Amino acid sequence: MKKMNYAKIIFIVFALFPFYLSAETAEEQGLRIAKASYENGRGFTDMVSDQLMILIDPKGNEVTREVSGKTLENLDPNDGDKSLTYFKTPKDVEGTVMLSHTHISDDDDQWLYLPALGRVKRISSSNKSGAFMGSEVAFEDFSGTDYRKYEWKFLGEEIENNETFYKLESYPNYENSGYSKRISLIDNLNRTYKVDFYDRKGELLKTLYLEDYVLYKDKIWMANTMKVENIQNKNITIFKWLNRELDVGINKKDFEKSSILRLAD
Amino acid sequence: MLKKYIISFLFVFLQYLVASQNAAAIDYKAYGFIQPEITTFFNGDGRHGQSNSNQSIFVKGTFITYLNNGDQKITINTTGRIDEKDSERSYIDFQKFKYEQYFDDITLKIGNELIFWGVNESFNIFDIINQSNLAEDISGTKKFGQPMISLNYNHSYGNFDLFIMPFFKERIFPGRNGRPRLALEVDKSTVAYESSSKKNKIDAAVRYSTVYDDYDIGIAHFYGNNRSPELNVNPLSQKLDAYYPILSQTSLDIQSTKGAWLYKLETLTAKNGEERHFGIAGGTEYTIYGLRETTSDLGIIVEYTFDDRNDFAFNNEGVLALRWTKNDIKSTSLLAGLVADMSGSSNRFFAEFEQRIRDDLKVFIDMSINGEIDADDFTYAFEEDSQLTLKIAKYF
Repeated sequence: MKKMNYAKIIFIVFALFPFYLSAETAEEQGLRIAKASYENGRGFTDMVSDQLMILIDPKGNEVTREVSGKTLENLDPNDGDKSLTYFKTPKDVEGTVMLSHTHISDDDDQWLYLPALGRVKRISSSNKSGAFMGSEVAFEDFSGTDYRKYEWKFLGEEIENNETFYKLESYPNYENSGYSKRISLIDNLNRTYKVDFYDRKGELLKTLYLEDYVLYKDKIWMANTMKVENIQNKNITIFKWLNRELDVGINKKDFEKSSILRLAD
Repeated sequence: MLKKYIISFLFVFLQYLVASQNAAAIDYKAYGFIQPEITTFFNGDGRHGQSNSNQSIFVKGTFITYLNNGDQKITINTTGRIDEKDSERSYIDFQKFKYEQYFDDITLKIGNELIFWGVNESFNIFDIINQSNLAEDISGTKKFGQPMISLNYNHSYGNFDLFIMPFFKERIFPGRNGRPRLALEVDKSTVAYESSSKKNKIDAAVRYSTVYDDYDIGIAHFYGNNRSPELNVNPLSQKLDAYYPILSQTSLDIQSTKGAWLYKLETLTAKNGEERHFGIAGGTEYTIYGLRETTSDLGIIVEYTFDDRNDFAFNNEGVLALRWTKNDIKSTSLLAGLVADMSGSSNRFFAEFEQRIRDDLKVFIDMSINGEIDADDFTYAFEEDSQLTLKIAKYF
C-alpha cells in the first residue's frame, strides 16, 4: 500500500510536470524566447560590414544602394549600441555620415553629416516609422531589435516548410511606432525566421524574412540577408550584409559626435 | 608669395606621403558632380541694367585618402563655377585641401578647411571662420576654404578646438553684371583694414563643444579681421569702399532635441572696431512624421534674429518655412517659406525643390520672389530680382 502510494506520487509528479512548465504564462514564455533570440546575436563587441540594399518595385525595376557601417556593442545591458553609417550610393548622397546612440527606453541620439551642407546636425530620432533611404525598411526595424522594446506573448507552435517554429506576438511599447503588432516565427535555435508587421490600423503591412544565418565566434548567430515584402504597395527590399567582421577592436571614441568629421569629406 | 611657398610645400609633402605608401595599397575615394544651371528673372532686365537670364556651370570634386592605417587623412575638395554674365561669379576654390594627423585624443590639421559654426537653419550669426562668396550666393552661406593650422583635443568633458588662420581673404561681391547685386560696385583697389598687418594679420579662434543628454552646446571666441567689411560710398568714384575692422567675438550655441521638436539658439557679443554689439537668433523646428499615414514628413521651421545695431541689415527678421520630405526612392523634397523684416514691410518668398531623376542625376528648382521692399532696406537693390533657377547635377 505504501509502495503503491509512492508510485502514485511519482506518477502524479511526472504527470504534472508539463503543467509546471506551462505554469509559465504565455507572456513569460514569449519574453523568455524573445530574450534568448536577442541574446543569440549578442557578445560581438564591435562589428564592421558593407551593406547592399536592393529596392525592387512591383514592375521589377531594381535600384541598389550601398552603405558601410561600424557598430559598437554597449556592454551596459541597460543601454543600446552605437553605430556609424557611411553612405556610398546613390552618388548624390556619397559622403553622408550618420551616427546613432541607441537607447532602450529613451529616444535615440542621432547626428547626420551632409556633404552639401558641410555641417553636422543633431536630428530628431522620433521618426520611428520613417522609411530608410526610400526602402521598405523603417528606422525602427534597425533600432528596435532589443526585446525590451516590446511586450511579448507566446502563441504556440507553427509548422512552415516542414520545420517547427515558436510563434510570438509582440507590441511595441515605445511611442510613434508604425506598427500595432508583429508576429514572429523563431526556430529551435532561437533564430528569427520571419516577422509579419501589422500597421496602425491592424492590417498586414509587410513580411520580413531573415536568411543566410552565419554562426560567428561559435556562439553568435547573425542573418546576412533580410528581405522585406510590403504586402500593401508590393515593393520589395533586400538588405545584404557583406564582409561582416566581429570583434575587430574599434576605438570607442570613433562613435562620438566629433569623430563624424574623420569620416566626412 | 609666402602663400605660394606654403602651398607648394604642402603639395610636395602630400606627394611624399602618398609616395611613401605602397602604391597598390592606397585606398581612396574620388567623386563629384557637374551642374549646369539656367536662371530666368521675372521682372525683365534688372534695375542696374543686368540681363533677364543667366547660364552657369558649377562643379565640385572630392578626393579622400587615408594613410598609415587611418592615422593620417588627406582631403581635397574643390568647387568652381563658370558664369555667363558675372565674371566675379566665375572662380575656382580649394574649399578643403588638408592634411590631418590623428593621435589618441588629438587631431592636428594643416591646410584649407571649411568650419561651420551654428545650429540654426536660416540665421547663422557667428559662423565666422570662412569668408563668404556673395557672388556665388547673395545670402552669404557659400564659403571659401580658409587656410589654417588647427588642433582638436577630445576630452571626456568635451571638445576643444584651436584655429590659427593666416591668409585673410577679402569678401567677393557680385560684379557689375551680377544679379542680384548691390546698387554700387565694391571697389577692389581701395580695400582698407583696421589692423596694421592688413590681410597678413594672423587670426585665431577657440571653440569648446559638448553633448550633454539632449543638448548640444558650443562656446567660441574669434579674434581677427572681420569677414564682413563695412561698405562706404566713395563720393568721387561712386563705388563702395570696403573697410575690414578687427572683430573680437564671443558666441554661444545650444540645440535641444526633444522628440520631434528641435529648439535652437545662437547668440553673440562682439567688438567690431570700436563698437560693441549683441546678436541673438533662434527658433524651433517641429516635424510631423508619416503625414496622413503616408511615408512623407512635414517639418515646420520658425526662426527669428535680432541685432542691436540699427544700421545692420538683419537686425529684426523672421522666417517661417515648411520642409516636405517624401522619403521616396527619388529623395523628393520641397522647402518653401517666407522671410520677413519685422520692423519694415520687406519680405521674400522662396522655394527649393529637389528630386533624383536617375541614379546619377538630380534636378533642383529654386525660386525666389521678392515682395515689396522698403527703399531704405539693404535688399532694396534686389527688389526686381525675383527668379527661377533650374539646375541638373550629374554625379561621377
